[in-house]
Amino acid sequence: MAGLFSALNAARTSLEVNQKSIEIVGNNISNVNTEGYSRQSAELTTYPALNFGDFFVGQGVKISNVKRDHDVFVTNQLRDKVVEFGLYNGQSRSLSELERIFNITEENIATDVDRFFDSWQELSASPSDLVLRDIVIQRGELLSTNFNNSINSLDTVTENINDEIISKISNVNSQIEEIASLNETIFNIEVKGQMANTARDKRDSLANELATTLGAVSYEDSKGMLAVHLPGGLPLVQGNEPMSLAAVTSGTSLNIELNAAGVTRTLGLNNLGGEFEGLVDMRDNFIPSLKDDLDRMAYEISSQVNFHHQNGVGLDNSTGLNFFSGPAAVSTTPPTPAPATYADAARNMAVVLTDSNQVAAGLSNPAAPGDNRNALTISNIGETYLIDGSDNFNSYYGKMTSSVGIRTNQNQLNLEGSEDAVVQLENMRDGLSGVSLEEEMIDLIVYQRGFESSAKFLSTIDEMMTSLINIRR
Amino acid sequence: MKVTENTTYRMLQTNLDRITNGLEDLRTQGATGIKLRNPSDDPASIRPVLTTRTQLRTTDRYIETMGVSLDKMDATDGHLDHIENVMQRAKEIAINAINGSYDTADLDTLADELSFLQEELLDSANATIDGKYIFAGYEENTRPFVKNPTYTDAGYDPLDSQTWPVHYFGDGNPTELEITPGEFLEVNITGNELFMGISNGSLQAQGNTPTNGHNYQSDAGIDLFSTLQRLEDSIRAGNVDDLPATNPGDGIEQGLADLDAVADQNRRLRSQLGNRAKRVETAMLNQENVKIDLEQILSRYQDADAIETFNDIIKQETAFQAALNITAKVSDISILDYF
Repeated sequence: MAGLFSALNAARTSLEVNQKSIEIVGNNISNVNTEGYSRQSAELTTYPALNFGDFFVGQGVKISNVKRDHDVFVTNQLRDKVVEFGLYNGQSRSLSELERIFNITEENIATDVDRFFDSWQELSASPSDLVLRDIVIQRGELLSTNFNNSINSLDTVTENINDEIISKISNVNSQIEEIASLNETIFNIEVKGQMANTARDKRDSLANELATTLGAVSYEDSKGMLAVHLPGGLPLVQGNEPMSLAAVTSGTSLNIELNAAGVTRTLGLNNLGGEFEGLVDMRDNFIPSLKDDLDRMAYEISSQVNFHHQNGVGLDNSTGLNFFSGPAAVSTTPPTPAPATYADAARNMAVVLTDSNQVAAGLSNPAAPGDNRNALTISNIGETYLIDGSDNFNSYYGKMTSSVGIRTNQNQLNLEGSEDAVVQLENMRDGLSGVSLEEEMIDLIVYQRGFESSAKFLSTIDEMMTSLINIRR
Repeated sequence: MKVTENTTYRMLQTNLDRITNGLEDLRTQGATGIKLRNPSDDPASIRPVLTTRTQLRTTDRYIETMGVSLDKMDATDGHLDHIENVMQRAKEIAINAINGSYDTADLDTLADELSFLQEELLDSANATIDGKYIFAGYEENTRPFVKNPTYTDAGYDPLDSQTWPVHYFGDGNPTELEITPGEFLEVNITGNELFMGISNGSLQAQGNTPTNGHNYQSDAGIDLFSTLQRLEDSIRAGNVDDLPATNPGDGIEQGLADLDAVADQNRRLRSQLGNRAKRVETAMLNQENVKIDLEQILSRYQDADAIETFNDIIKQETAFQAALNITAKVSDISILDYF
């Protein structure tokens, strides 16, 4: 009888194990669409065999461990690649906005520059026409407005970037905290020799998200805790200690600060990666350089027009007047001005002339209504004056627009490339850790059959026992 | 390695995204006819496109300016023609007066006709276009030719413009317009050159005030009004050869000689204007051609090739259909159907 009882026990373990395995398969199927879920499977081992006379007889089966399919190599590669993807993705939105601002349709700053100088040329054909004089002033105003608007739009892009950083930082902080607490959980579970599969999956996908947004680098220490730090080496998570990021506004600028164990440090570009690097790089480097160029262009136009306008004489004998506000007149070929000279020139550009009689189309003093010499001179500035001796206003604008175009183009290619790489690595990860329904269905059959056989085994033992009991009848 | 549903669908999704994005792009190209819409479409073409657009706009302006110039020149030419007729008639009168044996009353009639011719000449000299005097230089709002109320026959001194029968209040600045890049062309004739024989240069040197009594004889030009006035005076007095020199006027003979000089001066300026008009016409033709060339260049940079675009759209649509088909097939096959 003793043998039968232990066989009963073996049948019980088999039923239990197959049932559990089916549950695990069921869990896999449930999570077929869960992001970052790694397929789990039961590791089965035999119960220690009992010595039965001269030989050993097995005593059933047990689940020694539930493991997840996981590959550190692919995971790390994926984490590397998403940093790149984040970087290009972070730049792409601002770049498409910049492309809208520096557009090349029929209506842009270059068109307005053309129209402004064209209005002078038109005036030269009938210099005493007050309507044409008004048109010159209006074209000047439109040009100024376009410069003002472009600068404002650039400011808006900067603000949008800041808003995006602020909104992302709270999310990042909660992710950092979650990783720290998961570290704790995993340690507590695994110290008892169990596997914290779900927690690890969760932690992996959080680390991926941090890599995308911040370019965070992570590695597992000997206690199974994930240490996360910024690309520059500053820590984000150490053991179960989370650090925190803060967006600190001072004036119109926004700084990202890291609060690490009581020490606050401002994060520069070299400490950031992923989306944040893309955003901050656009905000701190690319957009300011565009603004600088716009300012330079506005300054050169204003100062050149002012210079020639001051030489001329209006219908009311006025002379020495500025056409545009702002920079004082400069000589015909000014030396390259210092950036401080033209700071904010585009923002402050405006026409100061209000009376169309004061438009200085002529040179002779007292004024002659038919005198068009200055109008001709000014209308030619657009063609003949060269910024830095190499570009007229429109090709200068063309240069700026090209730089936006090249950057955007490059970014699109890079984004596509890194997206490809990420998709490929995700597929590779799925190939190893993902849930395949075919596999699960087959496992389902396997364990179901296992369960059925165990039940058959059990009923056989039961019949055998009944036979034994019935011997005495 | 295994292929999971997620892998398959991710692959399909990525490809469908890419194809629809490409299709969207191509369709916009087909609908707008423009391939260069954003700076990133082709950064290298941006500068040529902007420069060409500028050139197109300036070409348009040049063509328009030249149209304005031609109008002005045509109108001026009409007046020049009229002036020539007036001077022709004056010459006929002078010849009449010198040949015939007219009595005083007849001479008076001839002299009166000359007086009317002077008025006619004055009207032409004060001609306007758009309410602007065409022979006034820059002073287009000032009536350029005004009779000298203090003119007397005896007080007339050819060396002193102050004593001439008509005073000029315009200036010696011809209007220049830019007709092609960097080429400036005088589109009118100033009154001082045409009617007074004073060159623009010497008038400008005198501060643009011809009534200052300066001696302009060095310009070798001739004052039309003086010629007519002096001729009238001579005819009225029957002064043929100005002997003795105290007779009124300078003599009809001198008047006839002067009229020849006037005709020369007139013809010289008229042919100059004619040459300039010719130059404008050829330049205009040239600019029209330039415009067509520029439009071709612009089109090459920014316009989509319609046939190529529609070909591409069809290619892309086929790819899209194939991808959709495959996506549909994938969901048809499921292991669940076999249980």
